[in-house]
Amino acid sequence: MNRRDSLRSIAAAGAVATAGCLGVLGGSGRTVLDPPEQDLSAAAHPSHGDELPAVEFSDPIAGEEIATSDFEGERAMLLTFFYTNCPDGVCPALILRLRRAQEVAAEEGYIENSAFLPITFDPERDTAPVLEEYATQQGVNLEAGNWHFLRPESYEAGQTAIEEEFGLKIEKVYDSDYENLEYTFPHYGLILLANKQGVVERAYPSGSTVDIERIVADFERVVTA
Amino acid sequence: MRRRELVAGVASAAAIGGAALFAAGATPTGIGGSDDAGDPTASDEGTETVEPMTIDTIEAPGSRDGEVAVPASDRPTFVDFFGTWCPPCVEQMPALGDANDRVGDRVLFVSVTTEAVGRSVTEAEIAEWWTEHDGGWLVGADPTAELAARANVSGYPTAAVIDAAGRLRWSESGIHTADELVAEIEAVL
Repeated sequence: MNRRDSLRSIAAAGAVATAGCLGVLGGSGRTVLDPPEQDLSAAAHPSHGDELPAVEFSDPIAGEEIATSDFEGERAMLLTFFYTNCPDGVCPALILRLRRAQEVAAEEGYIENSAFLPITFDPERDTAPVLEEYATQQGVNLEAGNWHFLRPESYEAGQTAIEEEFGLKIEKVYDSDYENLEYTFPHYGLILLANKQGVVERAYPSGSTVDIERIVADFERVVTA
Repeated sequence: MRRRELVAGVASAAAIGGAALFAAGATPTGIGGSDDAGDPTASDEGTETVEPMTIDTIEAPGSRDGEVAVPASDRPTFVDFFGTWCPPCVEQMPALGDANDRVGDRVLFVSVTTEAVGRSVTEAEIAEWWTEHDGGWLVGADPTAELAARANVSGYPTAAVIDAAGRLRWSESGIHTADELVAEIEAVL
């Protein structure tokens, strides 16, 4: 895809800029937050100053197609990658971080400027009713209208998009330790924060353990900027 | 804002929590997750203060309908974060009962669900689960996950120990033995 190629070069240029003029980038107008202390620009996933990949998946609960570009100019976004059968607590920990940000968005009055976008990489099992039940369990507020579980149209489509656009390699593992699960997806917990202009402000690659109040505070700074 | 002022302090708690998790091998799927998002890692163990908040408690065996300040101001606090949807949380219950028998009289010993009690689940449903799994101590609800955020819950169940001065001394996800729980609690007594 041409778009992706051009993104790569933008990302590369961003990395050079970061190295060349640290401290200036934060004031360049593309991002609200300064670059993180640890430079993640070489990581496979998007990081500070990169364009958020433009992807479109369905929100099966609302029955609509959602593109990340739909929110540009309107909403800051928190994205993560998960599946409801995730057996070890990593995914609920990721969802908890987005959910807490959603709670604070309601308390502080920026519901309309926020979007929470957990993308499943298990569309075969994560159907609308399953996702709806999961939302109930995890305390997610679907009524707020700012939470969209996103479901690729097929496992393969999701796998390709998530790897190519977000640098997350997803694979079904059949010989899992969990006898009640046919397959699992070993993965690390990535959370991405993007501003209203669709530029990544933060990547949290240890997203399931990263401090909740820090994510919430980062999000609040970005959404209220 | 109170929350914003706390952020710098709490961030280092996360760094500690993360390190503890990796050391304990409690994140089996943390492939490639060893780096971190430029976390400020000003580690200063044991100095992160958890601001007290009021938790609504539930009428259930060993518990009552009321309120409790968490963390307690006069003694250490142990919190088990759970959800009724969570099978490992069921598995954790016997060890919690054992730990409560051994040290429950010296700390505030409380289980807290982060479910949206009052919205997506009722107190009666929590009480039913509690009875079914032999809970026998204080159980409360954190329906907006505010306490969970302060204690940096990183999975279910998560066990957290806060000392009498209100500092978060331990927060770790996974199923723990009664001996592990008691050891972490006794470390702050």
